[in-house]
Amino acid sequence: MNKNNSFQSIITNLQSFWIDQGCVLLQPYDLEVGAGTFHPATALRVLGPDPIWKAAYVQPCRRPTDGRYGENPNRLQHYYQFQVIIKPSPKNIQNLYLKSLSFIGLDPKDHDIRFVEDDWESPTLGASGLGWEIWCDGMEISQFTYFQQVGGIEIKPVACEITYGLERLAMFIQKIENVYDLDWDGIKKNKGGKTYGDIFLQQEKEFSRYNFEKSETLLLFKQFNDAETECKNLLNDKKNPLALPAYHQCIKASHIFNLLDARGVISVSERQSYILRVRNMARSSCLAWIGK
Amino acid sequence: MNRTDVNRGNLLLEFFSEEIPARMQSNSEEQLENLFIKSLLQRDITFGTLKTFSSPRHLSIIIKNIELEQKDKKIEKRGPRFDANQKAIDGFLKSNNLNLNETVIKETKNGKFYFHSQMIKGQRTYEILPDIINEIVNSFIWPKSQRWENTDLKWARPLRNILLLFNDNLVKGKVCIGKNIFLNFTNFTFSHRFSDKKIIINKIENYEQLLEDNFVILDRNKRSEKIINDTAYLLDKEKLKLVHDKSLLDEVVGLVEFPNVLVGSIGKQFMKLPREVLSTAMRVHQKYFSITDKENNLESKFLFVANSVKNKNRDFRVIAGNERVLKARLFDASYFFEKDISNTFENWNEKLKHVLFYESLGSLHDKTIRMVNISKKFAKAFGVKPELAKQAALLSKADLVSEMVMEFPELQGIMGGHYAKIKNKSDDVSKAIFEHYKPKGISDDLPETKLGSLLSMVDKIDTLVGFFSIGKIPTGSKDPFALRRNGFSIVQILINFKLNMSLNEVIEPSLKEFDNSSQSIKLSLINFMIDKLKFVLSSRNNRIDLVNSVLNTRIVNDIPIKVISSRINSINKFIKNKDFNIFLANFKRINNILKSEKFSNNAELQIDTKIFETMEEEHINNISKSFSRKIREKGMCDKSQEVFIDSLIKMNEPISLFFENVIVNHYDNNIKTNRLSLLKNLHNSILEFSSFNFIEN
Repeated sequence: MNKNNSFQSIITNLQSFWIDQGCVLLQPYDLEVGAGTFHPATALRVLGPDPIWKAAYVQPCRRPTDGRYGENPNRLQHYYQFQVIIKPSPKNIQNLYLKSLSFIGLDPKDHDIRFVEDDWESPTLGASGLGWEIWCDGMEISQFTYFQQVGGIEIKPVACEITYGLERLAMFIQKIENVYDLDWDGIKKNKGGKTYGDIFLQQEKEFSRYNFEKSETLLLFKQFNDAETECKNLLNDKKNPLALPAYHQCIKASHIFNLLDARGVISVSERQSYILRVRNMARSSCLAWIGK
Repeated sequence: MNRTDVNRGNLLLEFFSEEIPARMQSNSEEQLENLFIKSLLQRDITFGTLKTFSSPRHLSIIIKNIELEQKDKKIEKRGPRFDANQKAIDGFLKSNNLNLNETVIKETKNGKFYFHSQMIKGQRTYEILPDIINEIVNSFIWPKSQRWENTDLKWARPLRNILLLFNDNLVKGKVCIGKNIFLNFTNFTFSHRFSDKKIIINKIENYEQLLEDNFVILDRNKRSEKIINDTAYLLDKEKLKLVHDKSLLDEVVGLVEFPNVLVGSIGKQFMKLPREVLSTAMRVHQKYFSITDKENNLESKFLFVANSVKNKNRDFRVIAGNERVLKARLFDASYFFEKDISNTFENWNEKLKHVLFYESLGSLHDKTIRMVNISKKFAKAFGVKPELAKQAALLSKADLVSEMVMEFPELQGIMGGHYAKIKNKSDDVSKAIFEHYKPKGISDDLPETKLGSLLSMVDKIDTLVGFFSIGKIPTGSKDPFALRRNGFSIVQILINFKLNMSLNEVIEPSLKEFDNSSQSIKLSLINFMIDKLKFVLSSRNNRIDLVNSVLNTRIVNDIPIKVISSRINSINKFIKNKDFNIFLANFKRINNILKSEKFSNNAELQIDTKIFETMEEEHINNISKSFSRKIREKGMCDKSQEVFIDSLIKMNEPISLFFENVIVNHYDNNIKTNRLSLLKNLHNSILEFSSFNFIEN
């Protein structure tokens, strides 16, 4: 266990904690996603085929509309989640979670920890679950969800998903008020140590401009349609559908939709139909994945 | 004290689960009690008092003095008639596995029958309890529930332990929560999360105290009291006040098992934000209460309730953590506020063109334009300048696309009002926008200003008429667009401002905006509004039959609301007058006579004065004509309603004399018809004022 509370130590500590719980340690999925849930290790694996599935991984997430040109101390269009998915959900899962907090230097006995109702729903994934957001001294540091449905398909056994918002958690642990001031590596500045801002501020500025001002709308619309077509084609052969590549296209489409949304070019009435199109891709990929 | 009875025992049942959402807890207590009562009554087991508890993780019930055993029960089964054929008798014996000598023949009111009676021995309560608990668990209904692991059972959150004691003893048994998955009953529960100790309950009477010693206050009222008392202790000495918020308190009570009231500070730089922004950001996201000084000025402090025991070091840390979170939240709110201030109403209105109000009802901008058009027509009735009404309507929906309202939808209108003021719109217009979503329910305050009321009414009429015109009319319990509440609000404004507008005048301009000329939609709108009018008027201390009598006047949708109010008031006084009884008796007599005759319509009937035989006929003809004339001339004047009462009183004598001295049922058919027509005309003229047949004696 790493003693310092740098951003990277928090990650490595969470990793070793969940490895000790028998989780497969995975790496991020190599596409832009809105949440760690999109990773096939969660979205598809909770559906089957293994009756037992435990995995943990860091997933970079992109939410184009949350960009603030690097000017807001709390909001980012690109950030990290630490994701744990366990099926079936063990009886002591809440206690395991609390133990993991101690493991990264946040002893629940020293704080006010609260499980506050927060049911989760992903319209584009056709997924939903019941659970809480977890508050530590009023700060939401994690999401805790018992999955009930993905791709519109009932899940049994039920999987439990724990998502740590790494920036928030680290800000809390380091008692920092501006995300860009986060200590990334635990090395002093004069020794070449880096803050979150050193690494990501420029990225936030440039991507905010890209997301809100510069992305090429017509190109994006075309890419959305292409991904949808590709997804359908990959599932056309009912005997040998390519579920994973099809789902890959679904993730692409979902991110393109988010980019279009950030450009404000999707009207309220169109919005619903785009969400529905992504959901259909998710649903048919999921059905193909479980062999139906 | 309950006398201890050897035949009775006490029971404790507790469902221990992961954190149940705050909003569901109170109802779950009620449900647990009802389900338990139902299960016991069904089994003929009597019981004494019940007490329920709920906290995030504990839901429990204590029932005192439950019978230890069910009473024995005699059940009797009727077989075939005694003279039935042998086949039927054999069949009865066989299917019940009986010999003939185990039956008796008994006389009933339908004849003699074979009977078999059996004594069912009452079971011991503790033996039935597992069945009862399974029944309760399976009948429980949560607003939202989930499965977990491999369970089939759905509970609000995973159910982890079921404690069941009867007469202080553990009841053996289990609850089935899935295929081959069970929860065995236990004699223990768990303490507060931070210690998470197993607590064994040896005596039911110690349960509540033992848990409190382990930092779980089971009784929600006690938790609530603790919060209130601790708050008073903290604030009184600094001469500060809490901004009371009952629903927030209820929620917070459901978020903690051991409340610890703490106070934190708001950064001074955020105090320039509008008060509603501060308190909404605190309440919605963080569940913090606002604090004011004695003069109700918002303090730069907030109050919150932690789930812990007081501990100086920890509390200090928890307060600092919460202050940091709030700072981040308010930083966001300031960002939205600054961004909004640098935007313009014109820009927002332009954006409204792309925001759908509802499918086939156009954009929010379209709604704004319709509101502008109606406002101008209503301005006179409200006594405001049409130009102001128009401006207020035009700006009223702009804030819906402001950053702040996108983040906090409950600040709609309020932000519009603040921004209008900041952008130098007139005070009247700012205030009107600020308050135009009022009243939010039948018990909410109305807008204070005339302009605000006008804007509120115009907004609601547009919504109401819009949805009616596309067939989205509330039915039964379904009212997804809250149109009933809209209707109530419109009516409250109409009555409170004593508006000189009839229902037709209220509805027609809006129907025109939707290009709707359907008579049936107009009729259903009128009926809908009359219904709301009826409710609101009768909830204001008016007798319902009286309200009905006025609202059932034939042309009621043409009568200005202020006349309707004043007419109800006059009749209300009239009812208390001794002359009223005579009037009503006469009226009902006329009503009864006419009921048996068929009159095709309500047109005034031709009277042949030449065949009058009496003075009384002459008089009836005159009073009926003069009353009709008066109604035509002054019926729509709210100040004249008392005059009609005088006229009605003056009718008493001539009508009574008519009935004394004139035979309606005359052998000469012409005379008979003429006399009936006289009564019919009089009846009609009175009905123009009020349908007195609705009034009960």
